[in-house]
Amino acid sequence: MAHRGGERDFQTSARRMGTSLLFQLSVHERELDLVFLDHSYAKPWSAHPDASSARPTRMLFVTPRRQHENTIESDVPIDVETVTSTPVPLYDNQKARSVMNECERHVIFARTDADAPPPPEDWEEHVNRTGWTMAQNKLFNKILKALQSDRLARLANEGACNEPVLRRVAVDKCARRVRQALASVSWDTKLIQWLHTTLVETLSLPMLAAYLDALQTLKGKIPTLIDRMLVSSNTKTGAAGAEALSLLLKRPWDPAVGVLSHNKPSKLPGSPLILIASSGPSSSAFPTSRRHRFWQSQLSCLGKVIPVATHLLNNGSGVGLLQCLEHMIGAVRSKVLEIHSHFPHKPIILIGWNTGALVACQVSVMEYVTAVVCLGFPLLTVDGPRGDVDDPLLDMKTPVLFVIGQNSLQCHPEAMEDFREKIRAENSLVVVGGADDNLRISKAKKKSEGLTQSMVDRCIQDEIVDFLTGVLTRSEGHVGSEPRDQDAEKKKKPRDVARRDLAFEVPERGSRPASPAAKLPASPSGSEDFSSVSSSPTSSPKTKVTTVTSAQKSSQIGSSQLLKRHVQRAEAMLTHKQAQVPISSEPAEEAEKEELRVQLKRHHPSSPLPGSKTSKRPKIKVSLISQGDTAGGPCVASQGGAPDAAGGKAIAVTLGQASAGGLLPTARSSASEGVAASPAPSVVSGSTTPSTLHTLQSRLVATSPGGSLPGATSASSLLQGLSFSLQDISSKSSGSSGNPGLPGPGPAPQAASVKLPTPMQSLGAITTGTSTIVRTIPVATTLSSLGATPGGKPTAIHQLLTNGGLAKLASSLPGLAQISNQASGLKVPTTITLTLRGQPSRITTLSPMGSGAAPSEEATSQVLPSSSQFSEEEPTDLGVSTHGTVGAL
Amino acid sequence: AGRERKGPETNIAAQSTHPSSANHSKEAPEKPNYALKLTLVGHTAAVSSVKFSPNGKWLASSSADKLIIIWGAYDGKYEKTLYGHNLEISDVAWSSDSSLLVSASDDKTLKIWDVRYGKRLKTLRGHRNYVFCCNFNPSSNLIISGSFDESVKIWEVKTGKCLKTLSAHSDPISAVQFNCNGSLIVSGSYDGLCRIWDAASGQCLKTLIDDDNPPVSFVKFSPNGKYILTATLNNTLKLWDYSRGRCLKTYTGHKNEKYCIFSSFSVTGGKWIVSGSEDNLVYIWNLQTKEIVQKLQGHTDVVISAACHPTENIIASAALENDKTIKLWMSNY
Repeated sequence: MAHRGGERDFQTSARRMGTSLLFQLSVHERELDLVFLDHSYAKPWSAHPDASSARPTRMLFVTPRRQHENTIESDVPIDVETVTSTPVPLYDNQKARSVMNECERHVIFARTDADAPPPPEDWEEHVNRTGWTMAQNKLFNKILKALQSDRLARLANEGACNEPVLRRVAVDKCARRVRQALASVSWDTKLIQWLHTTLVETLSLPMLAAYLDALQTLKGKIPTLIDRMLVSSNTKTGAAGAEALSLLLKRPWDPAVGVLSHNKPSKLPGSPLILIASSGPSSSAFPTSRRHRFWQSQLSCLGKVIPVATHLLNNGSGVGLLQCLEHMIGAVRSKVLEIHSHFPHKPIILIGWNTGALVACQVSVMEYVTAVVCLGFPLLTVDGPRGDVDDPLLDMKTPVLFVIGQNSLQCHPEAMEDFREKIRAENSLVVVGGADDNLRISKAKKKSEGLTQSMVDRCIQDEIVDFLTGVLTRSEGHVGSEPRDQDAEKKKKPRDVARRDLAFEVPERGSRPASPAAKLPASPSGSEDFSSVSSSPTSSPKTKVTTVTSAQKSSQIGSSQLLKRHVQRAEAMLTHKQAQVPISSEPAEEAEKEELRVQLKRHHPSSPLPGSKTSKRPKIKVSLISQGDTAGGPCVASQGGAPDAAGGKAIAVTLGQASAGGLLPTARSSASEGVAASPAPSVVSGSTTPSTLHTLQSRLVATSPGGSLPGATSASSLLQGLSFSLQDISSKSSGSSGNPGLPGPGPAPQAASVKLPTPMQSLGAITTGTSTIVRTIPVATTLSSLGATPGGKPTAIHQLLTNGGLAKLASSLPGLAQISNQASGLKVPTTITLTLRGQPSRITTLSPMGSGAAPSEEATSQVLPSSSQFSEEEPTDLGVSTHGTVGAL
Repeated sequence: AGRERKGPETNIAAQSTHPSSANHSKEAPEKPNYALKLTLVGHTAAVSSVKFSPNGKWLASSSADKLIIIWGAYDGKYEKTLYGHNLEISDVAWSSDSSLLVSASDDKTLKIWDVRYGKRLKTLRGHRNYVFCCNFNPSSNLIISGSFDESVKIWEVKTGKCLKTLSAHSDPISAVQFNCNGSLIVSGSYDGLCRIWDAASGQCLKTLIDDDNPPVSFVKFSPNGKYILTATLNNTLKLWDYSRGRCLKTYTGHKNEKYCIFSSFSVTGGKWIVSGSEDNLVYIWNLQTKEIVQKLQGHTDVVISAACHPTENIIASAALENDKTIKLWMSNY
């Protein structure tokens, strides 16, 4: 009976085995599958007992926990001889080695004078340093040190079985150090051009090859800077040499190149449209991260990809967080509707990263889509994991795939299982071993398993394809008049022939007639009585909101709920792990750096909120502590120390400067009191960082109690104060700021920071029946870059925002909103202590935070001469911890 | 320096038949039967170290007489002398292809030698005190050295440049070695620590500390790199599972309180641990049972070094200045 189906499955499976990278990479799972091939009636061992709709979790590269052998008796024979066989690399070793040595082979192209004998091995002694400035010496030494470590790594890894991956990791590290060194001179054009020329002339060939490798890597990340660096040498070598060099540097080599190109993923059946929900408002100034763009192109192999961007009006000024979310959800929703009307037969798949994943889920509750894929699902909130009875996501009917990182801070595999139990929609979970929130695996993982990110990404993609193929063929089967598989039909279970894990089939819930897209394009996928639009907010028992019928309204509320947990959880996490942002460079160079720590603590997770002022109110305490001048005196601290602190550092400075809790009032916001605390536009003079700082300070002071508001300053105004200065930086109007007598020491010559207005979120404008509260919390970021390059670089704050940090920041708002909305009975974060601590002695570094944490790696063309963004793409511990920080914000 | 070299006219004390092509019986023998085959006389001062070449053809010995002598591993025949150091040599090591030697000397330098031509290729300068131990990595593009200046240095063979200095010990370094795939380095020091380093980055990965913290006089990876054999100056050898930081076996019975005595894994026949001793004997333990299975008598001073041939059941041992000789012991197990 099952014979035919089984056979076909076997063929499918076998085909996959031959071609699927996944198969090659994770043998463990395949063994599992083989069991099911023989015994397709068997339940998978990991089948969930309670959740019939939750498919067993799939693990990608999750190292099985080593079983602890019972304490070894000392008499157990010890084998000192047998070498454990090293695993065969998963990529084409020969090819990988060949690309790995590309730079070594072509090193001659880089040499300006190809005819001259290459520098001898003891070139170092021959370098004539007379006439070098101190800066030149320092820079040269730094680069040399980086190259030397790289040399050691190369030699030590020589002949290792996974040498290409090890080399890749080492080269990345070297590139990071080179970049750090160059950033330490702010990418001073003259200096870096001199450096390049000197290196090319003096380095021995092996060292030069290492240098080129580093350049090649950096070129992929910061092409304009590297181009600027190479300009001078190009004129010398002539066109041919320059061309060859640029060809060589075109893109960094990848050990897995062969495997990946040979295993192209195929298109999904049914030519679905893939909608990518953005995880934050988009802005022209901040292009999406490279990783997201990369994924976008990867997904385009599967079907037509339509990224949904949310553009905020007025560049975002005056737009509240909720509004922003509303916009995001609305944008996706309207896109879905639009597609439905244009292509009524096309399946729609929603994909989102992090916050975008939540947006996607949210939309799927409201509109009919075929499937949802959540990449890096943020499950954990301050309230604990999502999935409370009032969680709108539980109402999802759409098949959903969660892909999470094993080391994700916003998610935990076990919590995810609990969540999945409660979801009624068919759902699958893929756990990527050693990966973070953005599914990037750590360096240690790469080393130990011989993996590259590209391989992991491909495997994730394979999983997505796998899942979607199942969903799509099934829905096709329903639509089509002719069932594909007799056996499957008999069982009343649409059997997906393409799935190899047939035993994983989830019995369809009887209550859930599959609604074919063709027939009911606009209806919610579920068969609930009322439309999901209004059901999501109202169905939650706790919410006593008078039902708002307008979709607009409900989505707003829904979104607030959506984000609430998320944020709160992020907070809670921080109390456990004190998020810190270590700076990765040596202390000696730290003059230009700044450490920023953000701690977010929250007490009293919830308290009922009566309407009267006198009772408990949400308390938001923001304290900015500058470690340097803890006294909090309004003295200008660190600025002098960093003459070439670039403008890009403005934000961090701001935070660092504002000092000591003394300055910072504990603000109390009264619920019933309408607080329209829009800050008077204060102006920061010119571009001086310090003054910005002071403005902030003054602003904070201004908002402290004793201000115009009787007895209590609204929390939001405080936040406002914090953010206002950032905003002000954007507004370039010059004039005296409101900072009392704190003239910023002049900005460094190169510190002319270009400031671009950034989306600013004002939160609030929530209207309820009885009281009106308009709270505006503008959060603006500055975008600054070196004087020469107006291109700009998103600062960490922005990244925070785009990362959904925005949402998190605003989390307090949903709380507030609900306060005002419901007279009482809602959980509200009563106290939020936000501590931003900066060290004035070091300048800037919001960015490591941004880079480590934000999903958006900087856009390739962007320029920020700060050494801080090096942790991108490497989810190191640093990155992980910073992530928490971001979550807190 | 005026030193009469007896090397060329080596007295071969024992009549040696051909090197025994030992029959490797399947079942591990209970006891080895090592017997003295050859005594190599040539050094004019204490011998500090003996090492078989990886290809099994030669034996290199270093000595306080500032010389390195190469001998035939099977017949004990004198091959050549390498000279160039200004002070006593403490250690010598072979490259994997048996073509290069590196020597560590009290003149604060290491020297790389081309064995075939007896030529000095490079002098590695950088240590600020006696260099005490040295080794090649498996691909023989790196050299690691430990010194009385409490640092471990990693050198590039080709250029002779120091690529990395590891300074994490607070006493003289007694031994350094790469593991079998070159990814790890182990170093032992008089400060009682035994540290594992990542060779590529120079990061310390692990530190092994004994309970009572005796000075570590020797460390060595097992042939498969899974275990570490450490010798401490309290008459003890220990076998560690370093990944778990656990001591698995303890070998005692010999005397070792003063010198950094080399010990070795013998895996060509039975599985033994071989070490010199300050009571002028060579001790052989059963690796698994920790019993002393044989003591080799013959030297007249502290046996400072014991080395095992890579393929045959041959042990070379060397002794200090009252003896100055190297002895080759063979067994048919």
